[in-house]
Amino acid sequence: MISSLGTAMVLAALAISALGTVTAFAAARTRSRQALDWARRSAYAFAGLMIAANVLMIIALLLPDFSVGYVAQVGSRHVPRWVQVVSLWSSLEGSILFWGAVLGGYVALSVYRMRGRHPDAEPWALGVILACSVFFSFLIAGPADPFHAVPNPPPDGPGPNPLLQNHLLMVVHPPLLYLGYVGMVVPFGLAAAALFSGKLGPALLRSIRTWLLVPWIFLTLGIVMGGWWAYEVLGWGGYWAWDPVENASLLPWLTATAAMHSVMVIERKGLLKGWTLTLVLSTFLLTILGTFMTRSGVFNSVHSFTQSDIGPTFLVFLAACLVFSVLLLAARIGKLQPEGTIAGAASREAMFFVNNLILVLITLTVLLGTVFPLLAEAVRGVQISVGEPYFNRMSVPLGVALLFLMGIGPALPWGGTTPEKARRALTRPIAGGLTLLTLGLILGARSPWMIATLFAGGYAFQVTFGEMLLPALTRLRKGGVSGASIATSLGALLKNRRRFGAYLAHLGVVLVIVAIAVSSTARVSQEVTLREGQSVVVEDYQLTFRGIETRDEPHRQSVLANLDVSRNGRALGTLSPRLNYYFIMREPIGTPAVRTTLKEDLYASAMSIDTEQKLVGVRVFVNPMVVWLWIGTAIIALGGFIAVWPRRGAATADARSTRPATTAPIATTPIATARHEAQPSGPSDGGATGGAVEGA
Amino acid sequence: MNKRVLLVGLAIVVPLIVLFAVSFGRETTKVRSPLLGRDAPPFELKVVDDERLVSLDQLKGKPAVVNFWATWCKPCQDEHRVLYQGARLYGERVQFVGIVYEDDTTKILDFLNRHGSGYPTLLDRGGKTAIAYGVYGVPETFFLDAEGRVVEKFMGPLSPDHLRMNVQRLLEGS
Repeated sequence: MISSLGTAMVLAALAISALGTVTAFAAARTRSRQALDWARRSAYAFAGLMIAANVLMIIALLLPDFSVGYVAQVGSRHVPRWVQVVSLWSSLEGSILFWGAVLGGYVALSVYRMRGRHPDAEPWALGVILACSVFFSFLIAGPADPFHAVPNPPPDGPGPNPLLQNHLLMVVHPPLLYLGYVGMVVPFGLAAAALFSGKLGPALLRSIRTWLLVPWIFLTLGIVMGGWWAYEVLGWGGYWAWDPVENASLLPWLTATAAMHSVMVIERKGLLKGWTLTLVLSTFLLTILGTFMTRSGVFNSVHSFTQSDIGPTFLVFLAACLVFSVLLLAARIGKLQPEGTIAGAASREAMFFVNNLILVLITLTVLLGTVFPLLAEAVRGVQISVGEPYFNRMSVPLGVALLFLMGIGPALPWGGTTPEKARRALTRPIAGGLTLLTLGLILGARSPWMIATLFAGGYAFQVTFGEMLLPALTRLRKGGVSGASIATSLGALLKNRRRFGAYLAHLGVVLVIVAIAVSSTARVSQEVTLREGQSVVVEDYQLTFRGIETRDEPHRQSVLANLDVSRNGRALGTLSPRLNYYFIMREPIGTPAVRTTLKEDLYASAMSIDTEQKLVGVRVFVNPMVVWLWIGTAIIALGGFIAVWPRRGAATADARSTRPATTAPIATTPIATARHEAQPSGPSDGGATGGAVEGA
Repeated sequence: MNKRVLLVGLAIVVPLIVLFAVSFGRETTKVRSPLLGRDAPPFELKVVDDERLVSLDQLKGKPAVVNFWATWCKPCQDEHRVLYQGARLYGERVQFVGIVYEDDTTKILDFLNRHGSGYPTLLDRGGKTAIAYGVYGVPETFFLDAEGRVVEKFMGPLSPDHLRMNVQRLLEGS
């Protein structure tokens, strides 16, 4: 029953998305209002069907109904309820179905926000987005069908991969990543629409930026949550290993970050239009590439789903998207003429361009390192891995340069300045750089890259913090220090949300990069075997092995080693790293125990626990500053949400705008009017005053 | 049509698609080495803790286990105890050699001090030996017979069973 109903829903979603694609492109060509209405209705129907199919699958997993193919594959009666739900994205077919639901959500939301706001772009964007939906519906209906019926249903199933049952972070990491990946289809559609229609007005630009920022926030959270999960679950004391699939998630993040910055250069100076659209298109293409990497079986990765048949289908889609993007860019990029030139090296736009180049260089470096093993094998028949040292060697200098630019860019004004003013603006933050550097040296930093990171971090921090508080400080200076003026100045901070949010996100990035540098270079670890009652001393901590405890759960048995922790004679509590024995797996899976403070993490990972001899083999790490990685990420996300949150009255502010469109329409089509372009865009950004927007 | 954009775009996109297409069916975990049955590529590398050089020629005469590893690789750390025990068990009849790939001497010495070292560990500066052996990723282990021919290649961390099985095969062969 569930099987047939699910299959029917997916087939209906396939048909309706195909109908929507055809009608949307017809609407774009013929400007038929009726065709556009049909395309919108199809988009909503597609979203409804995809979400309903996912709800149905969750019901099947909870029952559990083993006559449904996917449930027979990953379902189980003996796992907790939350694991049953999480099973939806634990294996290939379910994860693609879940992808469909997220896609449906984005399709519905983007259609709702776009309607009537971009009359020229909307039908093209809708057509492109729905065409991508056709592919995913086809995938769910055919090669990765989760609803196929099982003729003789088994009485019970194996449950999902034990690694996914080990931590609650697994509940949030994949959905966040999907929200990041899938959401990039909307800016892709909008960028393609800008090329098709030959128009890139301020309203469309704002929509592109907003629809880029929303998935970017989720992608940031998803990537870091993945690192956090690895840190909390895998027991090797680290959070990033340059695994092909980790790299795959980083690639679109890098190009999206570059695009969000270059959008500002278009807004302010009318430059880098083709470049920005190329970045937006590349972001989506890289998400598809990343998905291909996880699901094709071509790459060897801890994340890879088992080898499946969908690889070739995915490659066809990837190839189609790549060729489509190149042809579209080549055919239409000529319509996007720049409206000036970069005003010289000492200008914000020049620094943004350098920032873009560095981000693209990191993208290419990571991409090359990831596909190099394939290249080496295909060309020379030799198998080789470039490994972690390659990525570290390449990314560390580029990362430090980027951090430094985060300080230089916002310190310079748009449109350039005199050498004297530039010198003054750039020398002031050296104080911040030297402060953090001195602090680092006192605390024991010695490696050259660490020293460079600390200096660049302090420099960028001072500029960012100063720029963030600038509106408030200006008000305070004008109004004197009184209760009322403090309130006004705080109001001034939040008035231009986009600016405030962007600088807040920059502060988060500074924190994250410094935390990565410190935690990866100043880590101390020790591996030891302890008998009951014995102790080990790592840095200031003493860990004493107090005994073994066993806990039984329906789906696993856990053996815990209790380690009493003290520091300078003061008891700090107990750490209990554990080994979990799942009934479907021979080898145990460890869960490390972490004691987190703002200064450092004490991290204990059990390598072996001998219940008879009362022995524990334990690896102990003291990881400095790791918590700042998570805090920094939360700040980035908060900054992103503040920047993207719709602003009341944005419509009136836009309509009042007297500033001419920074990017004049490029082609003359009868429907394009300045009035349309001045209407509010999708989820509008805050702080748009006079059509131009401040931001970092 | 902007020809420059078209050409640059296609120059990036087409090779990428072709590369992925020809990579299908690639067995990512069980890689058969073209070196199997052939003479192992020669090497002469410095021992990590002194100035001594060890070459492939010196290993000939006895079967050898050549393990490529690095301290930054977590599976290598787990595998180390298996090899350490293996060298104690079979060290009289089989020679064990570790070749460290892309790593620095301080970290290697620190690792060996903490975990023990029962056989020579060699430095592969620039990874030339690893390239010659077609190392895909560490850890990887090559089992050589007494004449220096590659009998077996193992990818990933060796379990005690894998090591025993392959060493016995070497001993039976000799």
